[in-house]
This record gives sequence, structure tokens and C-alpha cells, in this order.
Amino acid sequence: MLQRVVDWLDERLDLDDVRHFVGEKSVPVHVHKLWYYLGGVTLFLLGVQLATGILLLLYYRPSAEQAYESVQFIVTTVQFGWLVRNIHAWSANLLIATAFAHLFSVFLLKAYRKPRELTWVTGVVLLFLMLAFGFSGYLLPWNELSFFATKVGTSIAGALPLVGGFMLRLLRGGDDVTGATLSRFYGMHVAILPAVTTLFVGIHLLLVQRQGMSVPPSIERKLKPGDELPQMKFFPNYVLRDVVLWYVALALLAALAAFYPWELGQKADPFAPVPAGIRPEWYFLAMFQVLKLLPSHIFGIEGELVGVIGFSLAGLVLLLVPFLDRQTARGEPGRIFTVLAAIALVFMVAFTVYGYIAALQAGAAP
Amino acid sequence: MPAARHARLLPLAAALVLGLSYGAIAAPAAKNSCATCHARLTRSASALPSLQFREDVHRDLGFTCADCHGGDPTSDDQSQAMSPARGYRGVPTGAEVIARCAKCHSDAAFMHRFAPRQRVDQASEYASSVHGKRLATGDTQVATCASCHGAHGIRLVHDAKSPVFPTNVAATCGSCHSNPEHMKGYTLDSGAPLPTNQQAEYETSVHHEAMVTRNDLSAPTCNDCHGNHGAAPPGVGTVAAVCGTCHAVFAVRFDASVHKQVFDRGCAECHGNHAVKAASDRMLGTDQAALCGTCHSEGDNGFKAAIQMRAAIDKLKQGLDQAALLIARVKNAGIETSDQELQLGEAANRLTQARTEVHTFNPAPVDGVVKDGLGIVSRVEATGHSAEAELRFRRQGLAASLVAILLVVVALGLKIRQIDRRAGVSAPPAADKGGPAARA
Repeated sequence: MLQRVVDWLDERLDLDDVRHFVGEKSVPVHVHKLWYYLGGVTLFLLGVQLATGILLLLYYRPSAEQAYESVQFIVTTVQFGWLVRNIHAWSANLLIATAFAHLFSVFLLKAYRKPRELTWVTGVVLLFLMLAFGFSGYLLPWNELSFFATKVGTSIAGALPLVGGFMLRLLRGGDDVTGATLSRFYGMHVAILPAVTTLFVGIHLLLVQRQGMSVPPSIERKLKPGDELPQMKFFPNYVLRDVVLWYVALALLAALAAFYPWELGQKADPFAPVPAGIRPEWYFLAMFQVLKLLPSHIFGIEGELVGVIGFSLAGLVLLLVPFLDRQTARGEPGRIFTVLAAIALVFMVAFTVYGYIAALQAGAAP
Repeated sequence: MPAARHARLLPLAAALVLGLSYGAIAAPAAKNSCATCHARLTRSASALPSLQFREDVHRDLGFTCADCHGGDPTSDDQSQAMSPARGYRGVPTGAEVIARCAKCHSDAAFMHRFAPRQRVDQASEYASSVHGKRLATGDTQVATCASCHGAHGIRLVHDAKSPVFPTNVAATCGSCHSNPEHMKGYTLDSGAPLPTNQQAEYETSVHHEAMVTRNDLSAPTCNDCHGNHGAAPPGVGTVAAVCGTCHAVFAVRFDASVHKQVFDRGCAECHGNHAVKAASDRMLGTDQAALCGTCHSEGDNGFKAAIQMRAAIDKLKQGLDQAALLIARVKNAGIETSDQELQLGEAANRLTQARTEVHTFNPAPVDGVVKDGLGIVSRVEATGHSAEAELRFRRQGLAASLVAILLVVVALGLKIRQIDRRAGVSAPPAADKGGPAARA
């Protein structure tokens, strides 16, 4: 039956090129090949987000009056609504974790060097898009924690020089976080970000397929002239390994959803005092903690402004790494950027842990 | 601005400055030789009034010593300033104090200029009080206006430093009523000496705790039950009315009960008067800690009613505790329970209502409310048990899916081994082994 369908399609579309590409495509086998799978599992989790997100859309109502109640309805009354919502929430967090891990592995394996500069750039843009998904999705249940965290988060954008005020009103749809902000975040979360993400995922995958997997320079340097790395066929050998990892991720998601359901908390009350220990999601916590610790003024400039500019520059440097790392481009070991990546990793982990401890001490549950 | 224009404005500015200076000179503060002389006196008893008066509300409103004491404050000569011929009346005592304060405070038209909403019946109320009546008989030991409000440093009642601010009232009354020496000779209607432990008892009460610890200024202190200007002890039969001004529902239930006719001291029979403790369910029943057994004995109707009411309340309390534990358990497991928590709040309201109905001393209304509460509790428990079943289902479903996933993963692993062997995928060169990613 399947063969008849393929033949039917082949007759009309001439699938020879595709068949040839799939048949010939291979993946280099070496000691670091395990890191290749992080991209695949991130893509799988993105798919989970898409599927569960669509299901949630069927019941979610994006207004300050009804958002919280609709999520409550989803987790209490809708058949398997609790499962869908918990998987969506857990998968979002795992997705960002695997995206970060993918980024650091690509960074440390120097896979961004020529000719894969654009793959890197699209990957970093995708990470930023995932963070934007996280930020916008966090507000949608309209609970106390997300409401005040969004207030803090958007006020950070408001600290930007020149465009700060405009950015603040653009994000909030007014001077304060209200139902208008919720509508904007909803539109961003379910329409704008998915459209842009689809485009960038498409380009990213196309580039990965077109250019194949990068072999780390450390492996390349050890090869003797004329030696070739062993190869694994992409289909089915590599794809099946990918699928195994996807199943493991699925099992992990199901277990987390059943044993550690995502809390809904209290409905947001704009007139209530700010609860103690307010904090954003873990992936923004390091940034949040640094901004909190900065003095009010640094060399006469507002501390928060210095922090926001610093993080914006760090983001820009991350985006342009392939063009800045000249050592790696020349084929030399790029130790400076390796050290920078290690420092960034230690910095993020340390300040995230610090942020959690500070929030706990201030009286908030982690 | 051109310099010529500056020059034209100079005379105007000079005239303005001169005019203001003239105004300041032309309207000096009225002379008050009382304050000037008394402040210089070395005897503190004579100097203190002028020092205290600096913080007096009357001074802020423009009153002077002479408004109460008379005399001529414009004269520096003591014999002139304090001459009866010039209206000097000296230090008032006893009934004179009431008369001098009442001169203004009982004059509605006058008071309207300063405190339009203030009552003007303090003096007539005072005359009806125990203090006023005794004063009329010549007892000058009793409290007059100055005993409670002070004489020279009088503050507004809502000033926290005022002796009649709610948190200070007990100490102000206690300054006489807790002093055995001062209270010597005063007796109750029964002829027994008037106790002096009221303040000490009050300070152990739930009312004092509410006011001092919880800063609840609406909690009662002496004057809330005894009155202030018309101070009198609540008599037999009026205690429930006094308590009922705050505990209205309890008073209504009590008024309709059989105990209304029996309890000489009303609410105070069970709850005490000055040392009112937080009420608890232990007060109800027939065991040693309960109060009902004090009057009732086994077999009488009151004894049976006490047992029945306590049992009903205990049953609802126990049901509520169990349901709350169940809901907390399923909530911790991730089930949304806000509806059930609301219902538990409703059942807790029924418990409060049942405790109120106890003051009818009739088991029937208590049972009715408890039945309602137990109905709510059983509905919450049913939802809690369904939630537990749902949790079991989720975990069983998870176990089944994990087994299915494991089977698929094992099958895929076998398949991968098979196709790897067929395709001859080899391990990476030995030289590459052992290098961490960071080394790349």
C-alpha cells in the first residue's frame, strides 16, 4: 500500500532527487557525535509545543477576566486537559534547556565556523525566539506570579535608552500591565512568534541538511592525510537514534506531568501588593539577579541601564560569534572563545542558583 | 531684562518689604505674663503647667491660661495679674472643674467654632455617672474631667499620647481603680469592698490582647462597657446588652434562651467580665474543662443538651479536619481544588454559626446548622475521593505509557544494532576517544 502511494507520488513529482539525497546522506561518526542529537530533541520538543499549544487554544480565553478561569477549566474539567497543559509547561522548559545545551555544544565544538555561519545565526535567533515564547507564554495563565514577573520584565525593557518608553508601551499596550498586555502577549505567542519561528526553523534545517554535520576541528586535526572519518547513514541509522531520544524525552515529559504538575497559583490581582520573592522563569533568573545586584548608578549612568545595555551587547556578540572568532576561522584552536563560553556558562549557572536562593529567602516557593 | 526696568521695580520691592515688616511689628502675639512667670519658677509644681500647656490642644486653638483661671495676663505685676478683682479664679477643684470645662464644652454655639461635630452633653452625662453623683454628695476623690483628660497638656482623643486614647484608657482608669489606697471605703452594692484588680484582669483578657497585640483599636476597653462621661457599671440584666453592642448575634440568641432568666450576670456567668478569655469549644459540655457541669448535673435536660451540642460541634470539626487533609493531599499532587477550598470555607462558616447557636442553649438549631455543614463536608470528601481515583488513574496511565515507550525504545535499539551491523558502522578511531567537548 505504502509502495503504491510512493509510486503514485513518484509518477507525478519525480522523487529521484529526494531518494538520492536521503540514500546518500551520512553523518560522521566520532567521539563527540552524541552532541548532534541535541538539535533533533529540541526540534521534537518544539513539535510537542506546537501540538499541545493548538489543543490548549481550543479552551483558552485571552482576557484578564477569563484567562485564569479558562486555564483552571482546562486542568480540572477538560478530559486530559491537565496532561496537555502540564506537558506544554514542562516541554517549554525542557525545550529551552535543550536549546541552551545545543547552543553551548555547537559553540564549544566550533561548528559555527565557515561555511556554517548562517546556521549559527539562525540558531541564535531561534534561541531568542524561544525565550520570547517563554516570556509571552508565562503571562497567559494570568496568575499572581506571572503578572508581577511580567511587570518587572517589561519594566526592564523600559530602561533601554531612547526607545525604552516606546518599547514599554508597545509590550504592555499602555503604561501598565493590563488585559491589553495579555491580548498582546497572546497574539505574539500564538501568531507572530510561531510564524517567525517556522521561517527560521525552515532555514536552519535547510542549512543543516544542505551542509551536513560539522566535524569538530579537534577531530579533523587528528586525521592523517588521506584518512576519512567513518560515516553513519542518516536514514535510517541516525534517524532511528534520534527517534529513541525523542521517546525518552516523551517518557520524561509524561513522568514530569504526572508527578510534578505545573502549579496554577492565585489569580492575578493588579491591586494586590507585590508578593515577596517575585522572580521570572529560571532562564531569565541569572539576568534578573544581576540587574537586582547592580548599584543604582555606575559611572553616573543608571545601573539598570548599564545592565540592559550589557546584556544586549552580549546577545549581539553571541549572534556574531562566527564573524568575531578569527582564530577558529584561520583553522587555529580558538581558545579565547572557548574560555568566554566557559565563563558565560559558569556565570549563568551561578547567578541562576543565587537567584533561586534569594527568591527562597524572600519567601517565594522555587 | 534691561537695567532701567530693574531700577523702576526697586521702590515697589522696598515698599513690599517694609509693608510686611510693619505688619509683623504691628500684630505682636498677645502678652501672656502667666506663661512667662510660671516658666521661670523653680518649683516644678508651679512651672509644670506652663510647660505642659505648650502641647495642649486648647493652646493650639488660641486659648490662654486666663480663659480657665481668669486674671490679667497683660500685667507683669503678680498682684495685679492674679487679682480676684481682675477675675482671677485660681486652681479649680471638684465641681469647679466640671463647671469650667462645661462653660465652653456644653455651649453648642461656641463649640461649633472649633469642633462642630463634638458632643456637648459631657457635663450632663457626667452628672448621671457614679463619679458625678458622688461628687454631688461632696466626694472630691472621684474623677473629674482633668483626672482622665489631664489639665494642662490636654490632647485630642485620637492622639495616641492622650490618656483617653483606646490603648491608654485601662491605665488611666487604673490610676485610681487599681490603687487600693485611693479606692478604700468604696463598696459594691452588696457592701463588699470595691475590687482593685480590674485592670490586672483586663490585661489578661482576649480584648486587651486584640487591642495591644493585634493593634485592633475597635477592641473594647473600660469605657466601651462602662461608658466614659456617664461611667456606670453595667447592672444585672444589662450585661448581655453591653456585650451585644459588639457580639450582636450572640446577644440575640441569648436573649431568647432560658438562661436569660437564670443568669444573674448574663454573658459574664460563663465568659467572665474583665478577664474575658478567648471562647473555645472546651467550655461546652460536661467534662471537667467545660462550664455547663458547674450548674447542671447528670440526667437533667441542660446536661443532656450540653452533651448533644458538644457532640454535634465535634463531629463537624472532625469532618472538616479530615476533608481539609484530603483536599490538601490531592492539591499537593497537582489537582486543582479551589472550588473545594471555597466549600470548606463555607463549611467552616457553618461551624461558626453552630457555635453561635450554642447561645440558644437548645440542641435543635445547633443540629440543623451542623447537618448543613456535614452535607458540605461530605460533598467535598466525595470530590476529594474522585480526585484520588483520578490520581491513581494518571499514575497507572503513566506506568502503562512508560512500559510502552520502553518496549518501543528496546525494539528500536535492536533494530539499530541490526542495521548498524548490516551497514558496517564502526566505532570512532581509538585516538579520538576521551576528549571532552570543551577540548574541541
